[in-house]
Amino acid sequence: MVFSSLTFLYFFLPIVLIIYIFLPNKINVPLGSERSLVIPARNLLILITGFFFYAWGEPFYVIIMFISTLIDYTAGRLMNKYDNDQRIRTVCLIVSVCMNIGLLAVFKYSDFIFDTINSVFNSHITNPVILVNRKINDIYNFGLSEDRVALPIGISFYTFQSMSYTIDLYLRKIKVQKSLIGFTSYVTLFPQIVAGPIVRYEDVAAEIEDRKVNIGKISEGIAKFSKGLAKKVLLANNIGIIWTEVKAMDYTQISAATAWLGILAFTFQIYFDFSGYSDMAVGLGKMLGFNFPKNFDHPYMSKSVSEFWRRWHITLGTWFREYVYIPLGGNRKGMAKTLRNLLIVWGLTGLWHGASWNFVIWGLYYGVLIIIERIGFGKILEKLPKAVSMAYTFLAAVFGWVLFDTDTIGKAWQFFKAMFGAGGSFADSTAKYILSSNVLIYVICIFAATTLFGNLMKFFKKKKKHIYEYAVPAAVICVLFLCTSYLVDASYNPFLYFRF
Amino acid sequence: MKIKKGKRINIPDLITCIAFFAVLIFMALMTVILPKQDFLEMENSYAEKFPELSAKSVYNRSYMNKMEKYISDHFAGRISWIKGRTILETSLGKNERNGIYILDDRLVEKIPEPDYSSADKAIAAINKFAKEHDVPVFAMIVPTSAEIYADELPENAPNADQKEFINYVYRGLDRSVNTIDVYQTMLSNRDDYIYYRTDHHWTTKGAYLAYAAAGKKMGYDPVPLEMFDIEHAGIDFIGTFYSKALYDGVEKDTLDFYHLPGGYPVTEVDITEHFGEEPEVYGSMYFREYLDVKDKYSAFLGSNVPIVDIRTGCEGGRLLIIKDSYAHCYAPFLTQHYSDITLADMRYINISLDKVIDTSGYDQVLILYNASSFMTDTDIRKLGY
Repeated sequence: MVFSSLTFLYFFLPIVLIIYIFLPNKINVPLGSERSLVIPARNLLILITGFFFYAWGEPFYVIIMFISTLIDYTAGRLMNKYDNDQRIRTVCLIVSVCMNIGLLAVFKYSDFIFDTINSVFNSHITNPVILVNRKINDIYNFGLSEDRVALPIGISFYTFQSMSYTIDLYLRKIKVQKSLIGFTSYVTLFPQIVAGPIVRYEDVAAEIEDRKVNIGKISEGIAKFSKGLAKKVLLANNIGIIWTEVKAMDYTQISAATAWLGILAFTFQIYFDFSGYSDMAVGLGKMLGFNFPKNFDHPYMSKSVSEFWRRWHITLGTWFREYVYIPLGGNRKGMAKTLRNLLIVWGLTGLWHGASWNFVIWGLYYGVLIIIERIGFGKILEKLPKAVSMAYTFLAAVFGWVLFDTDTIGKAWQFFKAMFGAGGSFADSTAKYILSSNVLIYVICIFAATTLFGNLMKFFKKKKKHIYEYAVPAAVICVLFLCTSYLVDASYNPFLYFRF
Repeated sequence: MKIKKGKRINIPDLITCIAFFAVLIFMALMTVILPKQDFLEMENSYAEKFPELSAKSVYNRSYMNKMEKYISDHFAGRISWIKGRTILETSLGKNERNGIYILDDRLVEKIPEPDYSSADKAIAAINKFAKEHDVPVFAMIVPTSAEIYADELPENAPNADQKEFINYVYRGLDRSVNTIDVYQTMLSNRDDYIYYRTDHHWTTKGAYLAYAAAGKKMGYDPVPLEMFDIEHAGIDFIGTFYSKALYDGVEKDTLDFYHLPGGYPVTEVDITEHFGEEPEVYGSMYFREYLDVKDKYSAFLGSNVPIVDIRTGCEGGRLLIIKDSYAHCYAPFLTQHYSDITLADMRYINISLDKVIDTSGYDQVLILYNASSFMTDTDIRKLGY
């Protein structure tokens, strides 16, 4: 299920939230003399609804999620039980990490690995996962894909979350979660299960045990959720239509202006789609009493690429820093090792976004830019006027998106050439039409991507607190009405981060 | 939920919570309670039925997909929501919606650049057909309203050049195929009511003009316009363009029947819906029951079927029309010149046409399509089978 659907918004959400609000955290069931059974009612509800939410989109692979959760939970309990035996603890960690990485390797990367092997060695090896699928189909007639391996929704997110638990437990940063319901509810927490933010166990450990829900938090959550819904349905979907059209064109024929308008549309689409989804997740978390970490902070206002990645998909950056970059030695082992570590982290960041060379190159592209900034260019950027360093960073991101979304490296190259006029003309009637019929949406997107809007709201809140407070419910209802009118006939409502 | 004493509740927060949930719950309840329609008449499509729960439908996700479609199809106030959105967008200057351009007084289709290699296949098939059959073949590709009113489109709006396309097709056809050019006819009558404002078809008047223009090549004297009695049979007609755009800002259409007093009568209309079955026999080309529903254009010869055969009291030749639905309001005029008119729709004929119809029994063959459907067609090539 996705948040931006009528099914979620009008049926799943109100039913789940109303039950949730009126349930206590724990129910004590007295069992005769002095003993009582404590049912973690809210966690149980989160587990059940999370299962339903996930199975709605992935009725088969939901099993994989539960198996992986069970293994990580058991690894955690064993680590705790054999607290003094470092060898057992290490084995538990290795089992958990290998299992999670293994799931990714099988379901996300196996096609890519075998495609690469086959093209390098000019061989025709069939992906064993496909062979297994065929066998299963022969016996059970499940109709599994026999062509490409289907990517289970959200697998890149929940495996990373689970790993954060076992790794942190191994490093003794957190306490063990003894309740299976508690741990499973952390993984299946529906606001973040399919597209993040990547909530580390550490972030919510205390809230899994005990959390408070009140009118103030729910209202804050509703406001945040509505903001995210508006970003996704009103901005991302509407500007995304432009990129869908341009993306399908023949890049050797399009004018430079068309190419720029197209990739700018994608630049905004992916930002509003993903940050909108994160806002909705954070808002839903608030309604349930959780405080999820921030995932986006006006990334297009950054003054360097390094800063951009501290403000874009923050939780992913944090994850790679905590669990890859720092364990590799970070920047404390000399320049050569630092550079190596940066390239590893950025290659992996790229690969995390999808199993294709475009993504690897996209990641390494950022790795190289960040290295250049680190060895001196960053100092120069600081001295440049703000507008110049911001323009540089924004352009770097735009070029990045070409690599990211043009499917093959050959097409990316064609597109780059088109951006510099290889398609012949600078601006043709197609470009003029795109601009003239969409000028409003571009303007709104630019405005909404800057800090200007937020600052204006803050100013308003400070000066006219009373009016501001009453404007919130009015804005929420407006957004709800507008988004509903778009969702009722959603001919275009993609969800970009489903493939990650 | 516990509301602690002494802790003041912020009123705006309370309003936010209540308003948010009130809207969600109200709309959800209305969606559940309100009566359901099986057919979305405005959009001219069937509504999703409530899905059946089974292990298989859950497993292959069809249950979830159907449930989402069901909720969207039956969402309370569905049409009003969509219309509201269209009004909002047009007032913000967006004159395109769901593949339809919204002009001042009409809706027209957004037609992308044609795929000429696909057209080549259709052309080759027609040429092969003409070569293999010893019967005069005529071809008429009619421009649509997007071409005739191209100057009224939003500035720089992408719009396929139908004139160029029609010329390309005509040039590609063998000299044995007689091409009938109605482009100029339509263009010079653009101020007349020749295309529906809300539908992709031409009006009966538009069809008449083409019929009159084709007479010389096909060898008949067209009946003068003033001889006809015009019946405004279908009023408040809203067509397929409307269904896509759901925009109320253009005037509704009127659908006319042209009757010729004292003309040759139609003696029999045979409609073959499914091969292998006997055709249904009717006495008229006009199916008035459609005039009371949204899909009024189907009053001409009914909905699209593989074969329609019209017999008349006229003693002229026999004509085979290979066609799209533009032919449905065109064929009635021809009843004054042919004894037998057969309409064949290649979309529903998947074997060689000769196996379905004895093509040798005809005196003329007319290939009649509008440019838009010819551009995207992949069925004419079956003529080459």
